[in-house]
Amino acid sequence: MTGDVASAEPPAVELDAVSRTYTRGEPVYALDDVSLSLARGSYTAVMGPSGSGKSTLLNLVGCLDTPTAGTVSVAGEDVSTLATRQRARVRGQEVGFVFQTFNLMPRLTAEENVALPLVFQEVAREERLERARDLLDRVGLGDRTDHRPSELSGGQRQRVAIARALVTDPAIVLADEPTGNVDTETGERIMGLLDDLHAAGNTILLVTHQRAIADRAERIVRLRDGEIEGIDQVDVEGAA
Amino acid sequence: MDAAESLRLAARSIRGHKLRAALTALGIVIGIAAVITFVTLGASVKAEVVGQFDDSPANRVFLVATPGDDGGPPAALSQPVFTEYDVGRIGEFEGVDRVVPRGTIATSALSRGGETVARDQVTATTPALFESVTFREGGAFADASSGEACPAEMAVTPSAAALFPGNLSVGDRVSITQRGNRTRNVTVVGVLADDAGLNPLAGFGSRPRFYLPTCAYDTVVTSPTTGTRQNVYPQVTVIAANPGDTAAVQTRVQDYLDTESDAAQLAPGSYEVSARTNEDIVERIENVVDRLTQFVTGIAVISLLVGAIGIANIMLVSVRERTKEIGIMKAVGATNRDVLQLFLVEALLLGVGGAVLGVPIGVAGGWVAVTYAELPLTLPLVWVGAAIGIGLVVGVVSGLYPAWSAARVDPIDALRYE
Ligand SMILES: Nc1ncnc2c1ncn2[C@@H]1O[C@H](COP(=O)(O)OP(=O)(O)OP(=O)(O)O)[C@@H](O)[C@H]1O
Ligand SMILES: [Mg+2]
Repeated sequence: MTGDVASAEPPAVELDAVSRTYTRGEPVYALDDVSLSLARGSYTAVMGPSGSGKSTLLNLVGCLDTPTAGTVSVAGEDVSTLATRQRARVRGQEVGFVFQTFNLMPRLTAEENVALPLVFQEVAREERLERARDLLDRVGLGDRTDHRPSELSGGQRQRVAIARALVTDPAIVLADEPTGNVDTETGERIMGLLDDLHAAGNTILLVTHQRAIADRAERIVRLRDGEIEGIDQVDVEGAA
Repeated sequence: MDAAESLRLAARSIRGHKLRAALTALGIVIGIAAVITFVTLGASVKAEVVGQFDDSPANRVFLVATPGDDGGPPAALSQPVFTEYDVGRIGEFEGVDRVVPRGTIATSALSRGGETVARDQVTATTPALFESVTFREGGAFADASSGEACPAEMAVTPSAAALFPGNLSVGDRVSITQRGNRTRNVTVVGVLADDAGLNPLAGFGSRPRFYLPTCAYDTVVTSPTTGTRQNVYPQVTVIAANPGDTAAVQTRVQDYLDTESDAAQLAPGSYEVSARTNEDIVERIENVVDRLTQFVTGIAVISLLVGAIGIANIMLVSVRERTKEIGIMKAVGATNRDVLQLFLVEALLLGVGGAVLGVPIGVAGGWVAVTYAELPLTLPLVWVGAAIGIGLVVGVVSGLYPAWSAARVDPIDALRYE
C-alpha cells in the first residue's frame, strides 16, 4: 500500500543513518543509526519500551533537537543543518507537535494556548481566536475556551494540546503518546481525530505503548535501545 | 509577532507579579521624580531671578566685593569696601548719571507710639535711588550730602507700612532702636507704590523695606586715600546717563576699582571688587543654577542606573522562571526575534511605567519645593517628555541582555526544564 503514490515527490519525512548520542559520563545512544522514510499522507506508529528513543525520534523530526550524525529531511529539506530561523519556520508551519507532557502555557486560557502558534505566523488576532475556538469545538472543548490549564483535567489538557498542534493545519502531525493520560472514551475520540487527519491527507507519526492504538496506523516501527528492531505492515482489512 | 500581541503578553506577565513589578519600577520612579523635581526647581529659580533682572533697567552697573570666584551668590556676601570718596569719584566719570550707595543699618526694633515692630535692619541709601520710582504717597527724603543736619526722614515699601496696625502713612513719627540702644526719631515722608526690590543686588521678593538717608548709616572706615573717617558701603549702583554707554561706564569703573580706589585697598585679599552689568549678573546666576541642576541631575541619573540594574535583575530572574514557557513558544514556531521582542517589551513596560509614575510625583515635588521657596512655578515641559524617553531607554538597555539570553534558550532543554 505504501510507495506507489509518493514515489514522484520527496517523502514527508526521511531519516538517513541518524544517531543522537548524549555524552554525559557514559555515552547514551538514544538513537543509533536509524533510517526511516515516511511517505506523504502515511500513518506510522512507533512502539518500544521506555527509554528506547521514541521521543528522541519525534524531537528530531519536529526540529526541536539536532542529530549528532546523519540527516533528517522534512518535505525534502534537510533540517539538520538549517539556520535557527528556518528551524523555527519548520516548527511553526510544517509540523504540529503533541507533547507527551502537554506543554501548555500556564497563564494563557485554552483558546489562547491553541491560538499561540498563529501568533508567530502573523495571523490577525480575531482570526486566530476564531480558528482556536473552532478547533476546541472539534476536540469537544467548546465550553472550556476561557479556562486556564490548571482549571482543566488531564484529558482536557491533552485535547487542548492536540488542538494547538492542528491549528496551523500542518502537513505532518507528530503525536507523543496522545492517549497516554486519558480514559478509553477520550482516547477513542483523540484517535478518531487522527483518523480524520489521515483521511484528509496529513502525514502522521504517533508514539504509543498500546498495541490496539498502534494497529490503527498503516505501519508500526518497533524501537529498542535506539535501534529499529523491525517495521510491521498493519493488515489493511484488520485496521479498517 | 505583532506589537499589540507582544504588549498584551508582556503586560500579562507583569500582572502575574504585580508587587514584584512595582518594586522593580520603584528605582525608575524615584529617579525620574528626582530629576523632574530638581529641574522644575532650577527652572523656576532661573525664570524668577532672570526675569527680575530683565525688568531692571539696562543702564545699571552694580559694584560688589565678593569672595574671589564666580561661584558665590552675587551680592549677599558683598563686603563694605566702597567709601564716600569712591562714590564721589565715580560720580564724576564721563557718562555716569548718578551713583547710589546702599548699606544696611543694624536695628532691633521700630516703634510708632506704643506699637513696636521687631526689625534687624533698615536700608541706608541716597534719594537718587528713587529717581525713576513712583510713590503711592509722599516722596523721597531730602539729600543728606550737603553737610547740613541729617534729615530725620524715612521712606517705606507698602509691605513695610503694613507691618504697623492701620499702615504707616506720611507724617507718622517712628522711632528706630539702633545698635547700642541708640534711638533715632524719623518722620515717614513717602510710601512706595509697590514692593519690587529697587536694586537686584539687595535681593528680590516683597521683603518689607525701610529706607533712611546715608547720614544715618553707621559703618565707617578711614579712607586710605584721604585719611578721613567716612561711610563705607557694601553695594553701589552706578547709573549710566545713556543705556548705550553702559559697557563703557562699566570698563571705566572697573579700571578705577582695580587701581586707585579705596575699595581696592580695603577689600580682603581673597575678595574680588567688580563692576557688573545686568547681563553679567544674569549669566552668573544662570551658571550657579545650571551647575546645581547638573549636580542634582547627576544624582538622579545614579538612581536611574540603580533602577535599570533592578529591572535587568528581575528580567533575568523572569527569564529563568519562564524557561519552560520560552521552550513552548519556540516549539510552536517562535523565532529568537519573537522571544527577544517579548522580553524587551516587558522591560520597556517596566521602564516606561516607572517613568509615567515618576513624572506626576516629580511635578508634585517640584511644586512643593517652589511653593516653599515662594517662587512662581515654571514647568520644564521638555523634561516631562524626556522623562518618558528616559524610561524607554532605561527599559531597553536593562532588558537587552535578559531578552537576548531568553532568545538563546535551546527549545529542547527548555522543555525539559522543571
Ligand atoms: N538530555 C538527555 N541527556 C542524557 N540522556 C538523555 C537525555 N534525553 C534523553 N536521554 C536518554 O535517551 C534515551 C531515550 O530517551 P527518550 O525520551 O527518547 O525515550 P522514550 O522512548 O520516549 O521513553 P518513554 O517511553 O519513557 O517516553 C533514554 O535512555 C534517556 O535516558
Ligand atoms: Mg517519550
